[in-house]
Order: sequence, then structure tokens, then C-alpha cells
Amino acid sequence: MKNTRYVLFGLSVLCVCMIGITTLNSGLLNPLRDAVGYVLVPIQSGINRAGSGIYNEVRNLGTMKKAQKENEALKARVDELTEENTRLRSEQQELERLRELYELDSQYMQYNKVGARIIAKDTGSWFSVFRIDKGSDDGIMENMNVIAGGGLVGIVTDVGANYATVRSIIDDSSRVSAMAQQSGDTCMVSGDLKLFNEGRLKLGYMEKDDDIKDGDMIVTSNISEKFLPGLLIGYATDITVDYNDNLTKSGYVIPAARFDRLQEVLVITDLKNAGPEFNEQ
Amino acid sequence: MNSSLKQISLNLILIILAFSIQTCVFPLIPFLSAYPNLMLILIFSFGFIRGSASGMTYGLVAGLLMDLSSGGALGFYTLFFIWMGYVNGIGTKYYYEDYITLPLALSAANELAYNLYLYVFGFLLRGRLSFGYYLINNILPETIFTVVTTLAVYRVFLFISRKMEEIGKRRDTTIV
Repeated sequence: MKNTRYVLFGLSVLCVCMIGITTLNSGLLNPLRDAVGYVLVPIQSGINRAGSGIYNEVRNLGTMKKAQKENEALKARVDELTEENTRLRSEQQELERLRELYELDSQYMQYNKVGARIIAKDTGSWFSVFRIDKGSDDGIMENMNVIAGGGLVGIVTDVGANYATVRSIIDDSSRVSAMAQQSGDTCMVSGDLKLFNEGRLKLGYMEKDDDIKDGDMIVTSNISEKFLPGLLIGYATDITVDYNDNLTKSGYVIPAARFDRLQEVLVITDLKNAGPEFNEQ
Repeated sequence: MNSSLKQISLNLILIILAFSIQTCVFPLIPFLSAYPNLMLILIFSFGFIRGSASGMTYGLVAGLLMDLSSGGALGFYTLFFIWMGYVNGIGTKYYYEDYITLPLALSAANELAYNLYLYVFGFLLRGRLSFGYYLINNILPETIFTVVTTLAVYRVFLFISRKMEEIGKRRDTTIV
């Protein structure tokens, strides 16, 4: 009994020391993390594959009828969209011509991407962190941006040999420097556990005169340190002038990516500091 | 020697299994708004059934696993879990074989303490003060799920623990 107590205190002190050391230098842990990853990731991806297989099968049976009805509606929609697509394509060509005219770099949407599957989530509901089945062996590096469903999902915070950890933008500690696509006025999108239960993110750091209105597209800003410019985050809503100082505005963002249904994501392998032009290495 | 190796590997498999179910299977179930904390149930049950030393060992291994796969500082979960294993081990004195009320109460108390720990170090220190909101929307649902799961899982753990003891006893008799 005495012995256990000594061990307990010894371990506690050790833990506190390790928390201190690894907070300052998390690189020390990489070999250990890799080792755990080699054991855990195959198990996790196996369970995930089996689990989602069963789940999808069950869901498929349930939604077959709905799907048939939806199919008809979608066929009509396809015709509509094909027509729209041809129109847009011609407009796109015109845009490209004009861009060349203005010698503008069409730097957006040319990023290199790698697809990855989400294999595990955090153990509770406090943090919105998940793990994907690609790691440094597949060229994933820290601070790479992750997107899905046309919108920004998060950023890689930690990489092992065969896995990577992604912190989503809905995590309570996430802050993304953003701007309104139309006006270019900068703002800050931050995650908030409380707001996310309502399906929203917080939008702040706007001046009163900034031209950001409800429904505006909010994208990652040019001046962000880690996020590539021009990635869609979501749409602004409920923007109001702050009551207490009357100088700033704040509001909410409805994210473009559907966080409750994420299964596959795309990791953009271009890093912000390298820039899209220097991706040959 | 062989059977103690068997015991250790059985325990390890149990921890990894619980961890995988919690991180891979529960998030797939769409209608769950919160999910039970299997790791926590595992650690406190074994602490409670088998005493402080086992509880602490369980806490150490499970905590390290969670620390290394969460990407945060090493020791954050471990610190809590070794204490949890130890403290629940003290309760062994009051342990009866088929007595479920005390484990349920312990499960709720542990879950509350664990979430409080996460709230204080993950949220309060960053100035998120509305504890009441988090209590209702995060802590209570998870606690309820965990207590209900304890009701179902505790007897399974009890059974496994007894089996493991049998393996240990068999070893003693063969030596004698």
C-alpha cells in the first residue's frame, strides 16, 4: 500500500514534468507517436472500414426508396445543370481571356491535393480533432490545410509516419484569419464549442465600416500565416454592430463543410509559406 | 511466466479494443449526440475490482495511449488516469461481487471529475467561463451515456477480471 502511494507520486511528478517538456518541444515525442501509430492505425482503419461498411449497408437499405424518387428529380436537375454548365464554361473562357489580359495569376484552386479517410475521432465531445490515414510517408506535413465538400475543414497539427491529426476549424481553440470575398475586408473566424452546437462559427475583428454583409462568402485571407488564400470557409450571417463600443462588428459564419458527416477529406499539399508557385519540391 | 504474459497481453488487447471502439465506432453512429467514455469505465472498473496498483497500471497504459494519439502534451491524460485508478482502487474495500449501485455511483463521479479536469485545463484557462452551458450540453449527456454503459459493461469486465484471476491461480498451483 505504501509502495503504491510512492509510485503514484513519482508518476504524477513525472507526468507534470513531461507535460512541461512536451509543451515546449513536441518534436521529442515523434518516435513514440510513430510507434503507437504503427500498432494503432491498422486496427483503427480496419474497424473504421468494417464499421462504415455495415453502417452504409444498413443506410442503403433504408434510403433505397428515397433514392429512387431522388434519382428522378436529380435527372431533371442534371439537364438543368448541363445547360448551365455550358453557359458557365463559355463565361469561364471569357474570364480566362480577361485574366490573361490583366496578367492576373489565377492562383486559386490550383493546389495539389491528396485524399484521405478519417479513421478516428477524439474520445469525447470537448475537442473537434480527428485522425486521418495518411502521414509523412504520403507527404503530409504539419500546417497543411484540409478541405472537404468545398469548404475548409481544418489544419494538420501533428504528423506520424502513417497518420496525421487534424484540428477542425470548429474546435474551440481554432482561429482562422479570413476575409469577405467580395470586399476583401479582413476578419477572424473562430471556433466555439457553444456555437457549433447551433451549427455556427464566430466571426469577429471587423471594423464598423467594413463591407461585410449577411450572405457574403467568407474565405481564408491573404495575410493568414498558415492558411492558403481563397479557401471557402462559409457564409456570413447575423452581422451586427457591437453594442458596447459601436466601432466594431461581429457575427456568425455558417460553415460550408458538413462537419457531422465527414468521412473523406482532401489535404492540400501546398504549404502557405512555400506558395503555390514553388510546389515542385 | 507464460500465463502472466497471457494476462498482460489480454489486458493490453482490452485497452486497445476499448480505445478503438470509442474513437472509431461510436462516432459512426449518427443518432448519438454524446458517447460513453469506455476508457474511463475500463480504468475505474479494474481499479475498483482489483485494487489501487492495478488501477494505476491500467490508468498509466490507457493514459499514455490517449496522450500519444491525441497530439497534445504527453502526460495530460496519464496524470488524471493514474490518479483515477488509484483513488478508485481505495474503494476495493467496499467491493462486493454482484453489487452494482456503487460502481454506478463511482462511474458518475469519475465522469464528472474527468470532464471537470478537461474543462478547467482545456477551456477555463482560455477564458471560457460559461460552465453552466458546458455542464448541460457536454458533461451531463456524456455522464448519462457512461453510467448507462457501465450498467451493461461492468459485469462483462467483472467476468473478464475473474477469468484472469483464474489464469493467475492456475499458474500458482502448477508451480506448487
